[in-house]
Amino acid sequence: MRRWGYRHVITPLVESMDVLDLGLGVDQRRRLFKFTDLRGEVVALVGERTVPVARLVAGKLRAAALPLRLCYAGPVVSTDEGRFHHRRETYQVGAELIGASGPVADAEVIALAARCMEATGIRRYQIDVGHAEFFHGIMDAVRLPDDVKGAVRSALVARDFVGLESLLEGTPLKSAEHELLLRFPALRGGPEILEAAGALVRNRRSEAALTELSRVRELLVGHGIGDVVILDLGAIRDFDYYTGVIFEGYGPDFGQPVAQGGRYDGLLAKFGRAAPATGFVVQLDLVSEMLTRAPRPPALPRIDAAVAWTGSGLNTALRLGSTLRLFGMRAIVDTQSRGPAEAKAWWRALGATNLIHCRGEADVSWSSDGQRTRTLPPEQVAARLAGGLS
Amino acid sequence: MKANEAVSIALPTGVLMEGALELLTRSGLLSLSAEELGRQLLVERSDLRVILVRPADVPAYVDHGAADLGIVGKDILWESPGSHYELVDLGFGDCRLVLAVPESSSFDGPDTWPPLMRIATKYPRTATAWFEARGQAVEVVRLHGSVELAPLVGLVDGIVDLTATGRTLRENGLRIASVLGSSTARLIANQASLKTRTAAVQSVVSSLREAAGGDR
Repeated sequence: MRRWGYRHVITPLVESMDVLDLGLGVDQRRRLFKFTDLRGEVVALVGERTVPVARLVAGKLRAAALPLRLCYAGPVVSTDEGRFHHRRETYQVGAELIGASGPVADAEVIALAARCMEATGIRRYQIDVGHAEFFHGIMDAVRLPDDVKGAVRSALVARDFVGLESLLEGTPLKSAEHELLLRFPALRGGPEILEAAGALVRNRRSEAALTELSRVRELLVGHGIGDVVILDLGAIRDFDYYTGVIFEGYGPDFGQPVAQGGRYDGLLAKFGRAAPATGFVVQLDLVSEMLTRAPRPPALPRIDAAVAWTGSGLNTALRLGSTLRLFGMRAIVDTQSRGPAEAKAWWRALGATNLIHCRGEADVSWSSDGQRTRTLPPEQVAARLAGGLS
Repeated sequence: MKANEAVSIALPTGVLMEGALELLTRSGLLSLSAEELGRQLLVERSDLRVILVRPADVPAYVDHGAADLGIVGKDILWESPGSHYELVDLGFGDCRLVLAVPESSSFDGPDTWPPLMRIATKYPRTATAWFEARGQAVEVVRLHGSVELAPLVGLVDGIVDLTATGRTLRENGLRIASVLGSSTARLIANQASLKTRTAAVQSVVSSLREAAGGDR
């Protein structure tokens, strides 16, 4: 994320409830671990870090010019064990682009999320991109009494399409919007889905959303991730919070999204610095669970060199260790003197690729998997290892 | 993404199993006898993998992605809402979730309830929400079986339980005071399966929807 110019910020794990109250919905507040501090103030462990970042931007970073590009990493906690896949705590890495609106900003954050998923080691993934305004437009346009509208919304948020169907069946007025709501989970695909949906909607909000989505898709092709993007007009998320383009990242064979994000232009105003904003989180716990269950789970990185020493070889060993690290290799220098046989045993136990044994100022032997042990001058060690590794 | 692999569907043991297998046969997806599935618990055939699990476990299998689809009673879904999509009312397995009280009890509608109602049920979440929505204080005792006994021995004022014909209730000297809701078998889907294996999963969903007599 540094390469994209996002500055790392650290927000506290414990936040005042007054701050969290401003930014969180009722359900989210209910799921917080709360307690009181010594002054009797109610504080809570954060359940997400977008609100703390928003407070930072409106508070400490008030003088900083917008747009701001910020990223963070840390644990978040929830009382609802089901929320984070039967754990109370999960580790999130996220980024927020604050003070920029429009498709170019939306696409930047989606592309960054994609690159973050790649950086975790996920080989195949897919990003579903939708738009909260598409849904809001339909709900505006659909001709229903207010109480039925509320029930329709609840059914949709609960993903209960059987309930939704019976609600809509009971109403006399049929419109294109009825049909769209019922087909919500199926409204996904390539750019063609935008045209299909465009032919059905008759309201400004939804039409504007479709135009914006089409632009975001073009931009994502420009970012080089067009082939992993799927347009999902039926994306169901927290519609009170999200105000624009929303997205979710899915890995292979895993039953839930590992990355989520979207535009939330309403949040910053609650902290007194109105600004458009968009961002995402990657759930690192879920990613690591997914990767370890894959057919070829990632191995821990191998140590490149085990540097052993005996007698006057310590100085040489320390110097060699520094040089190897300068070349980008992982090198461990032994903490105790060992003879040749013990050094070999230590090397095997470490599972390192190479063993460098320093027996004196200028007396160095090099052993490597499947090769005979050779003696060579210390100044050649780094070059030989680097050559062999590249 | 797992496009080459079979679509998996979790079926419940118990009263819905027959209906679920019949539906699979009618849809032309797979013909399987209850005995065969009961013996093996996991059958893989013609691009469909069928898993047999306890009814209350179906949402867990689907929500965690161990099954792409599941067939489960609405009563179970009331009790364990999750991240799955509820897609089709399959139309079989009709039953009602009711408040039942002893024949001799004076309790009927909300006006007749005591200040604190004591209820035994296998559906604590649904029962609590239902009473709370009616402004009624309730003490819920969670039982795992033979719920009908609880009011007879004075443990509670009434029970909230599932009934198809009302016979078991009558046999135990209970009568229905209120109906909390009607339940049928539902088809549920994992959220990620719908999104990452859309074509394969949707084709099974359509077959089942058609076989269930849905018009969409």
